[in-house]
Amino acid sequence: MKVLHQSQFFISYQCDKQRCFFIEFPHKRIKLSFCQLLAFRQQVKEIDLNAHFNGQNPHGLEMLMLCNRQHFFVFSTLECIDLKEFITGSFAMLELNSLLTTPF
Amino acid sequence: MKDLVRQKLSIHVEIMDLLNKQIEKEAHSSSAYLAMASWCDHNALANSADFFYEQAAEEREHMMKIFRYINDNGGTAYSPEVSNVNHDFKSLEEIFETALDQEISITKSIHNLVGKCRKVNDFTTEYFLQWFIAEQMEEEQTMRRALELFDLMGTEGLGLKLLDERIPNIRNKSQK
Repeated sequence: MKVLHQSQFFISYQCDKQRCFFIEFPHKRIKLSFCQLLAFRQQVKEIDLNAHFNGQNPHGLEMLMLCNRQHFFVFSTLECIDLKEFITGSFAMLELNSLLTTPF
Repeated sequence: MKDLVRQKLSIHVEIMDLLNKQIEKEAHSSSAYLAMASWCDHNALANSADFFYEQAAEEREHMMKIFRYINDNGGTAYSPEVSNVNHDFKSLEEIFETALDQEISITKSIHNLVGKCRKVNDFTTEYFLQWFIAEQMEEEQTMRRALELFDLMGTEGLGLKLLDERIPNIRNKSQK
């Protein structure tokens, strides 16, 4: 299993043998298929960080359900900011890997 | 490290995002045409109403084409939310002008998508979008032809009635 990207709170891994991905959260590690990773990416993209600062989301919490509702997460503002950077970084690494493994 | 993304997904991730945005635009366009059809129906312009009902169905077909393409190639298509649909119009001429603007905006969006495909070497999607480029050209021609009828026949009274009768024949013969 190889590390794709690491941010302040999260780490993503790719497992070639099981053809899947893992994400390590502060308290647990979950397994995701590529499809589930895409769904997670979409949910993170939809988080409106502005709402955390303009009073629309006064508690500063985001609730996400992952992998067909198997996992439930609550993220703070700080974690949400990190999560956005983490997802961008993880997909950038996947694209870089794609470029490196493409035969010319 | 294996290229798992490529194993699962035939299209570029960023292109998938843009295609999902295009789905939203096609859905909005379909709803906008429905609103236009409704206005025409209420104003005794039956042929124009039928024309816009047909346009609405066509835009939905375009949306479904993209929707299935994303899912067929391993991506995830998202069902779009539609809001801000305008139901207030001044005249049939304004409706056709709005329709032309809408088609031009969709054409631009498709062209941007093709440009992005070339940038990231997603030739599969570029090939898929060729059909949309031809289709948009025809849609623009249709709307332009309708606006030309207003120049010819006027926008009120009997002229408007005669114009409405000509609307069913407005599509390019090659489109039928």
